[in-house]
Amino acid sequence: MSEPILRVENLHYTYFPDSPHAIHALRGVSFTVPRGEYLAIIGHNGSGKSTLAKHLNGLLLPTRGDVWVNGWNTRDAAHRLDVRSTVGMVFQSPDNQIVATIVEEDVAFGPENLGVPRPELRQRVDWALDTVEMQPYRHRAPHLLSGGQKQRVAIAGILALKPQVLVFDESTALLDPVGREQVLRVARRLKDAGTTVIAVTHFMREAALADRVIVLENGAIAMQGTPRQVFSQAERLRALQLDVPEITQLAQRLHARDAAFPSDVLTVDEFVKAVPSGEWRVASGDAPITPSPNHPTPPRSNSVITIRALEHTYLRGTPLESIALRGVDLTVARGEIVGIIGQTGSGKSTLVQHFNALLRPQRGEVHVLGNDLSDPRLDARALRCRVGLAFQFPEAQLFERYVGDDVAFGPWQTGLRGDALRARVREAMDAVGLPFDAFKDRPLYSLSSGERRRTALAGVLALRPEILVLDEPTAGLDPRGHKDILARLVKLQRDAGMTLVIVSHNMEEMARLCDRLYVIADGRSILSGTPREVFAQPQRLSELGLGVPQITAAMHALRERGVAVRTDVLTVEEAAEQLARDSEAVKQ
Amino acid sequence: MDEFEISRHITIGQYLALGSFIHKMDPRIKLLSFALLVAAITFSASYTANAILLFVVFALVPFSKIPIRYALSGLKPAIPIVLLLAALQIMLYTSTFAGGQHCSSFFRWGPIDSNSCGVQLAMVSAARFVELLVLTSLLTFSTTVTELTLGTEQLLAPLTRFNFPAHELALTLTLALRFVPTFAEELERIMKAQVSRGAELGQRGRLRFIQQTRALLPLVVPLFLGALRRAEELILAMEARCYVGGKRRTHLLELRAKPSDWLVLAGTAAFAAAMLFIPFRF
Repeated sequence: MSEPILRVENLHYTYFPDSPHAIHALRGVSFTVPRGEYLAIIGHNGSGKSTLAKHLNGLLLPTRGDVWVNGWNTRDAAHRLDVRSTVGMVFQSPDNQIVATIVEEDVAFGPENLGVPRPELRQRVDWALDTVEMQPYRHRAPHLLSGGQKQRVAIAGILALKPQVLVFDESTALLDPVGREQVLRVARRLKDAGTTVIAVTHFMREAALADRVIVLENGAIAMQGTPRQVFSQAERLRALQLDVPEITQLAQRLHARDAAFPSDVLTVDEFVKAVPSGEWRVASGDAPITPSPNHPTPPRSNSVITIRALEHTYLRGTPLESIALRGVDLTVARGEIVGIIGQTGSGKSTLVQHFNALLRPQRGEVHVLGNDLSDPRLDARALRCRVGLAFQFPEAQLFERYVGDDVAFGPWQTGLRGDALRARVREAMDAVGLPFDAFKDRPLYSLSSGERRRTALAGVLALRPEILVLDEPTAGLDPRGHKDILARLVKLQRDAGMTLVIVSHNMEEMARLCDRLYVIADGRSILSGTPREVFAQPQRLSELGLGVPQITAAMHALRERGVAVRTDVLTVEEAAEQLARDSEAVKQ
Repeated sequence: MDEFEISRHITIGQYLALGSFIHKMDPRIKLLSFALLVAAITFSASYTANAILLFVVFALVPFSKIPIRYALSGLKPAIPIVLLLAALQIMLYTSTFAGGQHCSSFFRWGPIDSNSCGVQLAMVSAARFVELLVLTSLLTFSTTVTELTLGTEQLLAPLTRFNFPAHELALTLTLALRFVPTFAEELERIMKAQVSRGAELGQRGRLRFIQQTRALLPLVVPLFLGALRRAEELILAMEARCYVGGKRRTHLLELRAKPSDWLVLAGTAAFAAAMLFIPFRF
């Protein structure tokens, strides 16, 4: 089988070709994909990677150039269904690709379209559901599933077409770590069974799993090669607004100091193997200090949020009622950055909605900024102006035509007018990195996804809240967008004394950012403490379906192998310093 | 209590998997029987017929295993309207409307004319309302959306010869119902998000319609933009799964009517005919 399954030749694509706003999304991309390859396509938001993906099964047709699938040109209308059943595509949003109201019906949709007769149809549905391990959920309604489960149903729906190539178009971007791991496991299993897998992603850890990586920039291929070759050029990737996995960064720092250390490490396992244990072993006398975990946080006098024994049940008194919170205790002090981590469905979102009285306590106590939320006379609106809350994907709340108007909505509603309003909007936009004069009159539809996210956050900041609550503020953004938004949040806390509460799945982010963490599982607050204290218990966290930062995981793995390093290390810098010290200690 | 809990009020398409006799019926038979009973309810105007219908409809509920309180949960919000309607009918239904029927008058003052025909109409209307509501709940709680749409599609299939879009209609219905919970969640989220940045959604000045409508824009615009975006993505996803229309399509679900189903249909037809054609005296 020398003929590649996919051949892309000098592909150009232009959106709105005849208008003055024409966007040249792809400018001469050429590559081939041999059968059975695992290819990752990476690039920052707007680099053209999704446009490229949509050409692989003929959803878009080239403005110039050709795409060949299994020898068929995607322009050839006679082979359109052949192309689409050969190259299956899984999209980003699990909700928007499920058509039926029952899982197995949805999986059957594709082969039904091809006119597959019933006995075989049944077989294909069973096989596809087995492959993604969703057989037990076959009669469920999709809207009752978690994100990772929905996405696996979507994959099963594609598998039922028996495709030879599976394209994942950012299919893990909206999932939590557990859901992402489930999807990746399916991808690896399919690859092992001989399916060609193409993953479009901006998670570098996912790209590290591939056989080959193509980096897109401005609609053209900027780099390509094995993950090792690509990630060893960290500087170049950074210039392309991308990043390398943290474990690779650590290896590169060690390599800079000691050329014998390999610089092309991709995973924690590889890293641990690369550390020469004999040389770096420390005498058993100076065993590293492991912090005593889970000591209760001393109650502070200046607490702004106090929650005790909070419980909440949705749809109480109907057959569909579900318990979201079973007993949460939490305090947040003024000026702190507090992180809340937990699996999807653990009750985090329900919890934060109590902070600004969107939900009132059904049982237990909630005190926010001196207000008792059980008090029916509470002025909820006044409280909501003091506690700003931004939901996940806050850009969904934008509704005005122009950026400035949308940011002004909140303060205008509270009665601010004229110059005061203008000053407030300017302040909020500046705080999120959207220069007021350049952006206030920009129409919202012309913004990039990162700019829309910033606009939405500015809309909350414009109320000048004392407490800012953020649910997954960086979800779906590329690495550079992540870093910039986080840096600005820290600045708000440092300069304006704002109290921040952040919900996130990104453990590296939480480790760097937060003063304290709360771990929520099954509606209860299970663990709390500084990031060092919480992440010192990887075993416990993994039982709760949570991970630790990659660096912390590596240090724990080293210690298990007998290398005497501290395990309460969270960042690349700390780890590099720690390993250097240890090696010097040995050499002395 | 929970000001933003929208899903509580949406009972449409809420299938309850209870596996009863009614659940297991062929949806086509169920739909036909439903139509026959609705016809019987709609055209029965006598006390006797409605008393029988009311009894039969409630007697069906245990066969579906659906809790009776849940089946009636849609009734509560409608009570004020039903009462208002009944009051108007009792007061204003003049004997001249009643055709050749004999009505005994109870009370008369200006335009107000209270008589036995008006009272009967009011009672029968209220009874019909309850009968239809319980019957519809029985159908929707015991039948999945797929069964409903496939049943409808196959019942209408003979009409495709006259270019009637039976498949397209069924697919549209499925997609609409599929996204009801999604949009309910989305609306809830948008409401909460706007309130979280200082919005006030309705309350002040109940009679200022323009202001009230404008206050809804922060909800309506994001909801519609979201719906359009979803629609676009859904089209792509359907195309990627080789959707080209109804021709040549097969179905995972096979509808097969059991002998007991035919028996139910025959029984329902006889019952409906009896209700329609027996001239009840009272």
